[in-house]
Amino acid sequence: MKFMENFKKGTPLLILALLMICPFVFSSPYLLHIFILIFIWSYVTTVWSYMGRFGIISLGHGAFFGIGVYTTALLFNLYNVSPWLGMLAGGLAAATIAVILGYSCFKFGVIGHYFAIATLVLAEIITLVIIALRDTLETGGKLGLTVRSLGTSPLFFQFENKLIFYYLTLALLGLALLIWKKIDDSKVQRALKAVGEDEEAALSLGIDVVKYKTTMFAVSAFMTALGGTAYIQFTMFADPTTCTGVGLSLGIVFKAIIGGMFTLWGPTIGSALIVVLEEYTRLALGSAFVSYSQIIYGLLIIILIRFLPGGLYGTFSDLFRQKRKREVQVLLSGRQAADPYK
Amino acid sequence: MLILNAVINGLLFGGVLALMAFGMNLMFGVVQIVHLAYGQFIMVGLYLVYLLTVLYHVPLLLSCVLAIIAIALLSVLCYYSVVKPLLKAPPINQLLALAGLWIVLENACLAFFGATYKGVQVVLPVLHVGEIYIAASNLIGFGVGLITLGLLYLFLNKTYTGVAIRAVAQDTEVSGVMGINSRTIYLITFVVGGALAGVTAACFVPVYAVHPHFGSAFTLLAFIIVILGGMGNLIGGFIGAFIIGVVTSIGSTLLNPEIGQIIALLICLLIIILRPQGLLGVRART
Amino acid sequence: MLELSNVTKNFGGLCVLKRVSFTLGEGEFVGLIGPNGSGKTTLFNIIAGSLHPDGGKVTFSGRDITGFPPNKICRLGIARTFQIPRPIKTMSVVENVMLGIFFGRKNSTDASRSSREVRQEAFEYLNLTGLQVDEWTMPHELTAAALRRLELARALATKPQLLLVDEFMSGLNASEVLEASAILKRIRREKKITIIWIEHVMESLMNLVERVIVLNYGELIAEGKPAEISKDKRVIEVYLGEDL
Repeated sequence: MKFMENFKKGTPLLILALLMICPFVFSSPYLLHIFILIFIWSYVTTVWSYMGRFGIISLGHGAFFGIGVYTTALLFNLYNVSPWLGMLAGGLAAATIAVILGYSCFKFGVIGHYFAIATLVLAEIITLVIIALRDTLETGGKLGLTVRSLGTSPLFFQFENKLIFYYLTLALLGLALLIWKKIDDSKVQRALKAVGEDEEAALSLGIDVVKYKTTMFAVSAFMTALGGTAYIQFTMFADPTTCTGVGLSLGIVFKAIIGGMFTLWGPTIGSALIVVLEEYTRLALGSAFVSYSQIIYGLLIIILIRFLPGGLYGTFSDLFRQKRKREVQVLLSGRQAADPYK
Repeated sequence: MLILNAVINGLLFGGVLALMAFGMNLMFGVVQIVHLAYGQFIMVGLYLVYLLTVLYHVPLLLSCVLAIIAIALLSVLCYYSVVKPLLKAPPINQLLALAGLWIVLENACLAFFGATYKGVQVVLPVLHVGEIYIAASNLIGFGVGLITLGLLYLFLNKTYTGVAIRAVAQDTEVSGVMGINSRTIYLITFVVGGALAGVTAACFVPVYAVHPHFGSAFTLLAFIIVILGGMGNLIGGFIGAFIIGVVTSIGSTLLNPEIGQIIALLICLLIIILRPQGLLGVRART
Repeated sequence: MLELSNVTKNFGGLCVLKRVSFTLGEGEFVGLIGPNGSGKTTLFNIIAGSLHPDGGKVTFSGRDITGFPPNKICRLGIARTFQIPRPIKTMSVVENVMLGIFFGRKNSTDASRSSREVRQEAFEYLNLTGLQVDEWTMPHELTAAALRRLELARALATKPQLLLVDEFMSGLNASEVLEASAILKRIRREKKITIIWIEHVMESLMNLVERVIVLNYGELIAEGKPAEISKDKRVIEVYLGEDL
């Protein structure tokens, strides 16, 4: 038992250590590339799940990612601002928008699928803004934009060596997971769990619903934008379809659902699966067939929602609960309640 | 003059938009789901017309009719495979499953037709009265839209099935007590909604060359209109369609197409937050 | 300490509360009765901030709290239970009570205490309401009576000065009603807080409370000592056929 506990605690560290030495075992740049993509999307999906796991489903995180990407790229291309500062600026811009939208939504009780729809609209607005600014800010519109290359310039967040991106994005993912743990241990987790289940009961216990939800939304948006910066500095190219918008937003949500948004490693597993699936179809069938992988994962989503409505985690935790089989003690006189939840 | 032109063309275009929004609205009102993949149905319809006319040389009108039937069938398939199993699930699950369908349809079209614009060459004249220029395509869309909506009005008010649909939209439980099988009504609603998507696609044939990403644009457009008029409020949606038609038309004439859409979306966002029952809606009882 | 003046509430065209006014003194134990649909729970919702009145004022400890959000009102010292218990189902019974300690108190230093300490305190509240559970008991394992006690424990955990109890005894059998009375008495004795209590089990209510307020169709029709109320003509009319 003790060993199992230690093993459970040690696993994340072990995985991390393995990932740290991975690049020394294989040196294929292609594999490095895949790993970096997995890290970035795992990071973004994990950060999205900060909210998602408490039932605050945002379909607009593509917007925050896009804000990170374009703020960084434009500040650098037009004003020569270092992407390190651009990263901060993008994060703050995303957080500001999240606070404005989140506060007004939560204050007026826009929750559940109405909130999802509101964020979906935000995703579309940001995409259109980027396209509309094709000339004024040289975003390149639908054709996309390329970041001015400086070769390797640490001060300007540009590295030709993929290894650096490997460790940087791994660190980002580690940070996201660490913050997840911190949230788990904090009272924020308790508050949001209660809010996610019964907002009125939570309010009656003194939980400031609007504050907690808005804060979590802002943190999630801020961190998503940081992921956008890492992505653009790595790929050096951005266009509205891959870097922002509804499609990307749905992609993030789906990765979380597939892996399970309620568990620490769920988002990472989901992202790894999808990235590998996409890369596999690209390699096996050629890049014209990437859409086949998307069809598969769209179908996967429908099947998952249909057959495991509680999400993967819900299903597994139910199994776990049955295993526990604790004696149900009814300590009060009288009968068992006739299932008060039905 | 420019503005007057924009207003008139916007109003005419509003006829098609009303048709498009009506389908989504009907499904929300009756089945209580937000049909996120509705625009994708229209897109598939456009591709079908392209496939039939250009590749198989079927006459245009016949291929439009075939496309309408095909989309209605696709809608039935969607009902049985995605919607029906989730009728009792939380709304957010329904929304996400339909988003899954969105991804499937969009990428299926991308896989089969590629990422280039595909269109049927229909040459229609531009009519002009004095200094006002009216695209015939808009006029046709307007006509077809109004005629279809008129027929729908008769269907919903004069036939037994139509009245039953309205009864279910009002109150599923009570109508169940009165002996209406809501599942059958849901199925009929999906047939009608699918056919409407098909008709909308037919109206769009002379206007758009289609691209896989159009589906999401259609979905969002229908969505904005439905929210503007109040979800499930059919009359509200009808008026909302003309408002959006004019706003986007003026926006794109004076500024550029994106600005028009951004304004429409911002209005939509404000309505979600401040008046979730829609501009014309009455606040719900709860 | 609590003062309602001319509180009015309409739902659509229906007037649910009509200019209701009353005051509550420090440490009082007041019963709120009235037939179904007379506006009792609506009144609670207004005091607790879940609903905002269309007219009138609610004052608590000299402060106008009309229109405050429920979470703020809770932290000012008014706790409530729900008529139909609303535990957080995914949290254990103890964790439910811990929520009240962490978030519901005026003193925010409580929020930074360690979970272990807070858990210990939560168990004290559960004991106070006579609910014996272990650390892992989930709400779905509880009986209806026990769920009501959980509601009470969770509300008490916020250290309120004023406690709103919405039906503590409905659906309980005779021996459970006796236990429930004993619990309320004990809370009164140990915590010395002000309580307003909605109840349909008249007998227990009349035996326990010091003062009764009667609502009918949203209007306050009588107010006074239990003995007076049970003789009041208007009240008897309202409850015609029921045994007071």
